[in-house]
Amino acid sequence: MIHQHVLQRRFLVLLLSLFSLTSSLFAQDIAAGKALFMGKCASCHNVLKDGTGPALKGLEERHKWADHKELQAWINNPAAYMAKDPYTQGLKAKYGSMMTAFSEITLADVDNIVAYINDAAIVKVAAPGAGTSEPQGDQNAVIFGIISLVLGVIALILMQVNSNLKRLSDESNGVKTPAPIPFFRNKTNIALISIVFFVLGGYMVAKGAIGMGRQKDYQPEQPIYYSHKVHAGINQINCLYCHGSAWESKHAAIPSTNVCMNCHKAINTYEKGPKLFDEEGKEINGTAEIAKLYKYAGFDTSNPNQWDPSKAKPIEWVKIHNLPDHVYFNHAQHVRAGNVQCQSCHGEITDMHEVKQVAELSMGWCINCHRETKVNFNYDSTGGNKFYSLYEKFHDDLKSGKMDSVKVKDIGGLECQKCHY
Amino acid sequence: MKRLSIFSGLLTATLLWVGCSEVRRDPGTVYMPDMNYSRAYETYASTEALTKAGVNYTAAPVPGTISVDGAPAYPYKNDSAGYAMSAAVKNPLDPTSVDLKEAERLYLVNCGICHGKKLDGNGPLWNDGNGPYPSKPIALVGDAKYEAMAEGTMFHSLTYGKNAMGSYASQLSTKQRWMVITFIKNKQGAKATGAAPADTTATPKP
Repeated sequence: MIHQHVLQRRFLVLLLSLFSLTSSLFAQDIAAGKALFMGKCASCHNVLKDGTGPALKGLEERHKWADHKELQAWINNPAAYMAKDPYTQGLKAKYGSMMTAFSEITLADVDNIVAYINDAAIVKVAAPGAGTSEPQGDQNAVIFGIISLVLGVIALILMQVNSNLKRLSDESNGVKTPAPIPFFRNKTNIALISIVFFVLGGYMVAKGAIGMGRQKDYQPEQPIYYSHKVHAGINQINCLYCHGSAWESKHAAIPSTNVCMNCHKAINTYEKGPKLFDEEGKEINGTAEIAKLYKYAGFDTSNPNQWDPSKAKPIEWVKIHNLPDHVYFNHAQHVRAGNVQCQSCHGEITDMHEVKQVAELSMGWCINCHRETKVNFNYDSTGGNKFYSLYEKFHDDLKSGKMDSVKVKDIGGLECQKCHY
Repeated sequence: MKRLSIFSGLLTATLLWVGCSEVRRDPGTVYMPDMNYSRAYETYASTEALTKAGVNYTAAPVPGTISVDGAPAYPYKNDSAGYAMSAAVKNPLDPTSVDLKEAERLYLVNCGICHGKKLDGNGPLWNDGNGPYPSKPIALVGDAKYEAMAEGTMFHSLTYGKNAMGSYASQLSTKQRWMVITFIKNKQGAKATGAAPADTTATPKP
């Protein structure tokens, strides 16, 4: 009886200790750990990827970190911990920078942070790729083509049937009809067909001749599949981040590789955006495209600290928008002085994976815009351009109501020498 | 037979029409290529031919070149000693004469993408961890460490890059870098002084 009692008590103790263990597990607050991780660790550490510091996924399996007291000692004072620990000395040698000390981190904080890391590592691995978007084929064009083809054939057959029936009815009525002239020897037909050919041919020749040297819709394949939709659209990178010289010079410069690497030193995979397809409908592997950039930049992902930007090779992008050599166009003048949005000439770049030329870039197209665009003459602290205060007469006319607005053409936008010299 | 030829003619016409609506991968022809494409060396043109012809061409400025706005070259090297010494470098710009509107524009174009419009380290690339960037950009306002950081140290980091951040020396001129730093210090100062209580009342509003 006593024996049984002891057993019972032991069982109770076991249960209690189990309970306390689970409750201590629950005490590790993932949300609190996330807040701490984002506030203090995330600048240098990612859960899944090496960054400034190592990836923290599975850190409890490394070194002595399963013991959170060791981890706390390291976090609280890395310099002192490292002095007698070859493992962390190796880490500093590998990543090239010293871990920052966080003396305020307590043991409970460490538990929470590790709980968050373990949680984030599992959840992220299980999460499938983000939403899909299918490429849109021009199925409508094919359907319309087939329908008009079928209708055309039916019309021809009906015409044939009609003429045959007419001949039959004429014969039965006893009306003598001359032997039918073959279609292509009928003079009316020949005249009609040659007029149609003349008009169509003339139209096509004129159109082709005008279109020569114009590249509207030109959408070349680039050495790297760089999606403007992902960069400028989804991730909201300002156009001027990469094409900064559009603000300052004639050219909207193509960024050098080091500008790409500002972000892509850290972003080495494409996983969060939509699926990518090229214009032919072939799926694009974003991560492989980033790897192409690394090749040009001479960047070794396994050894990021040894990267030397001066050894990079230029990426030979294919120029899309080309003005003839005898036309002068200045980006800064339009973007900065004129406050023209990039999209006005380049179209909805933020929706284009592969960029294509939207505008015709013909002289008529330029002139039309110069005729219609108003100049902001109201120079004050909110906008306008001080330069226009020179145009005293226009300012007077605006005030007296003689003009309601000043257009680009009024300040010389139609003069030949503005663009051709 | 005749009907067949008409049919096949229509078929080819349709195919041609469908074929023409394909992606335009070809720039087409021009009337006079030598007038259309520049004979002279244009921006980004390959200089390979020059090198082959033995012409001495350097794309980079000579070391020690001083820019038009007269800013002297930054004296310290990109190492931990240079980083430590950078704290003593003074901002050469007079904070009252800096065009803060232009400085803000520069900040929003070049820095805001990571460090956020509100300088809180939550730009679109981080977006609370949902963006593509793997490490959290630092909060320039709201983090005591960066609010206390010397302007010279910021300049050092902007020039050479620091940790995950790359160098901005190619995108911002020396003067522009100091302008951005003046803007950041200005924002940090606004938060540190009188604006702080106003800030807390403003946060609950969307």
